[in-house]
Amino acid sequence: MVGWSGRRKTLTILMFIAPTLLGILVFSIYPLVLNTFISLTNRGKFRPNPDCSSPIWNIVEPTCWLGEPPKGLAEPYAFNDPILKNYTDLLGGLFTGAALVAVARLVLILLPLWIAWYVNRRLDRQLTRPVSSGLIWLAGLVGAVLLGWLINAPAAYSALLKSGDFIMVNVRTVLYVLVCMPLFFVTGLVLALILHNQNLRGVPFFRVVLIIPWAASTVAIMMTLIWQFFFRQQGTINQLIGSALNNYRPVTFLNSAGWAFAIVVLVNLWYTYGFFMVTLLGGLQSIPLDMYEAAEVDGANWWKQLTSITLPLLRPVAMPVIVLSSLTTYKIDAIVWALTQGGPIAGAGTPGATEFVMVHAYKQIFQTQAFGRMGAFAVILFIALFAATLYSLRLTQITKGATE
Amino acid sequence: MKKSLWILLTVILAIGLLAACSPKEPAATATAPAVTAPTAEPVVQDQPVTISIWHQWSGDYLNAITEAFNEYTVAHPNVTIDLSKPEDTSNALSVAIPAGEGPDIIGWANDQIGTQALAGNIVPLGDYGIDLTFLNSTYEPAAVRGVVWQNMIWGLPESQEGIAMVYNKDLVSDEYLPTNPLDFEELLTKAQAFYNATGKYLVCNQGLGNPDAYHVAPIYFGHGVSEYVDDQGMVHLNSPEALAAGEWMVRFKAFAPAETSHDICKAMIVEGNAGAWWTGPWAIADLEAAGINYGIIPMGKPFVGIKALLLSKNAVDRGNQAVAIDIMKYFTSGSVQAKIAAANKTIPAPTAALMDSAVQALPSLRGFGASLNLGVPMANTPYAGAQWGPVGDATTAIWNGAQTPQEALDAAQAAAEKAIDDMGG
Repeated sequence: MVGWSGRRKTLTILMFIAPTLLGILVFSIYPLVLNTFISLTNRGKFRPNPDCSSPIWNIVEPTCWLGEPPKGLAEPYAFNDPILKNYTDLLGGLFTGAALVAVARLVLILLPLWIAWYVNRRLDRQLTRPVSSGLIWLAGLVGAVLLGWLINAPAAYSALLKSGDFIMVNVRTVLYVLVCMPLFFVTGLVLALILHNQNLRGVPFFRVVLIIPWAASTVAIMMTLIWQFFFRQQGTINQLIGSALNNYRPVTFLNSAGWAFAIVVLVNLWYTYGFFMVTLLGGLQSIPLDMYEAAEVDGANWWKQLTSITLPLLRPVAMPVIVLSSLTTYKIDAIVWALTQGGPIAGAGTPGATEFVMVHAYKQIFQTQAFGRMGAFAVILFIALFAATLYSLRLTQITKGATE
Repeated sequence: MKKSLWILLTVILAIGLLAACSPKEPAATATAPAVTAPTAEPVVQDQPVTISIWHQWSGDYLNAITEAFNEYTVAHPNVTIDLSKPEDTSNALSVAIPAGEGPDIIGWANDQIGTQALAGNIVPLGDYGIDLTFLNSTYEPAAVRGVVWQNMIWGLPESQEGIAMVYNKDLVSDEYLPTNPLDFEELLTKAQAFYNATGKYLVCNQGLGNPDAYHVAPIYFGHGVSEYVDDQGMVHLNSPEALAAGEWMVRFKAFAPAETSHDICKAMIVEGNAGAWWTGPWAIADLEAAGINYGIIPMGKPFVGIKALLLSKNAVDRGNQAVAIDIMKYFTSGSVQAKIAAANKTIPAPTAALMDSAVQALPSLRGFGASLNLGVPMANTPYAGAQWGPVGDATTAIWNGAQTPQEALDAAQAAAEKAIDDMGG
């Protein structure tokens, strides 16, 4: 056997990666191309079939590859005129004056927080800090709340919601992610800190029990239905209160927008805290104990140790977890569908209070079968999520080791 | 030596993957045989042939149906019938039909006819010896209307179904039962009287408190709405009749459960918390299993769904159409459907089966039959897809008090019209 010659080596490497490359092409790239293509057309219930006599369709449409597709009574689908019609239909409302002003008002609320971040960064460079960073963050937060009250944030929010269903569900979903993440993190952290305690007995048992909801996520729908039963008019909670109180009129939790939103948050918290708990526990175990010993010698109390040692050193573990969980929470579907089906419904043609992005897409596509428009929906989401993922990769430096 | 072996293995793997991904030979579609002349005679099949049927029948329903097909294959030894029930018929068809791997016959609901005819997955039966004279002389009038779309015949009707008030005889005495199916004021009064006397709800309708345009149809149609959406794509949701139905719901709400679903209603009637369940023949088996002594009375004008056998494009491609139509005629014949109706308690579509004495003696047939008699056939136009979401959502908004009937129905009208626009008909 002779050694590796250049060409043979290249060929061998190519052969090794060919199956994966082919897999990526067939299962990732091609569906993206096809979907983008369909998003430019008027494909729908009344125009379900491609026109295989045209060369572009013949290349892109899989039904054309198998021979002639069936010819029904319908016309074949064609490019939209103007070609981006599906996109302008979805996003058009965002580029009106009222909606842009609303976005600007909401962004303005974040200004005090940005100032707090900037001031803290400047102060970090000085040898001694005149004020602690927590105090400045608090001031920023108070400023944001005050500003929100001054420019009437709820009004701006509802103005933004009125600028179109697509924008409404997206803004609501972002709000949902913003509400969920701190809850997930704090719950996961508290449980991780408790389980990290060396003096606690039976830690292995609790570790296993607490991770069950996350680990058993394959039965998520079944468990979600049980959660739903808790909150129904005839459900467990109402029955419990009813047996304790006389003349109690059962509350229909899932018919109230606020309650339904809170319940969807709660159930998702129940599924996700285990993931946060386990990863943060791993992070805690990787922090050297001598740091705490040194801090104790210096007279730092528990809170000081938490904020100055534990949290900063958990950051490399916590950031990827929060970013990944934000992305999956943004795409939440099955749990919401099983709990509320996007409801409570505020009326026909208006997305319900818990109709998040994926639930909305599902409802739309099965009601109208407007595949072209939903293709555009998917492309816009893809661009947004892709940008978010790239940014988060930079933020968390997940791939740092691989690229160095 | 070892290295070259690995390279060889890799090449084999890659080729295998390529072969798996390459498109299938379009043999089935390319070599479509000439269409044989239609024949009214029973088909004599001299070559062995397998007819594949995709269907929606499940559970105990399927037993009697399989038995009927077995009898056919015993009489026609060259014919094999392959029954299968795909998870998602609509998507499965759109992949299988162009590939030539679709079924010969599709057993489905008539409301799929428009969509499937547009897509070209099913073929009209007029070319194969089925005409309106045969249809009118064999099947019930509503069933015939249900399988004709755009003046073409798209299937042979097998059975009809729809909902009625199924009540617990041990819980609801005659004084609380409505006597006139179209008098909703009477139903309201009796529900109130029943609630005041027992603290229980008279009837659970899973369309009130849960988006479900099908189960509230008897209320809208019973108040005089002709159709939600018609074949021309016109929407009839904010008419005075629909508004009257909406206002009736607001008053009825005090004497009915706020939240419902199929399972909630079932639990309520089985546990004795509700006197009646506004439901269809599919629920009867559960009630019998729970030992409920039930009766059935008509109320309102329900949707009448027609189950039909449709002929797929692939049957014609394969030259199986004559045998397939023979099987369709056999299965939808009076004698076969009478047997199935007696076993499954369905309402047969062939007139001869409906008139059969054994079928006439079934109590469920009398109740559901009276209800279907008043009913509105399920639309087979693709536009009907636009009705479900808006009607369900508007009704739920009325029921929750999120909107007044006028607001809710105006929004439903606009949403359904927009959905029809989006369909691009």
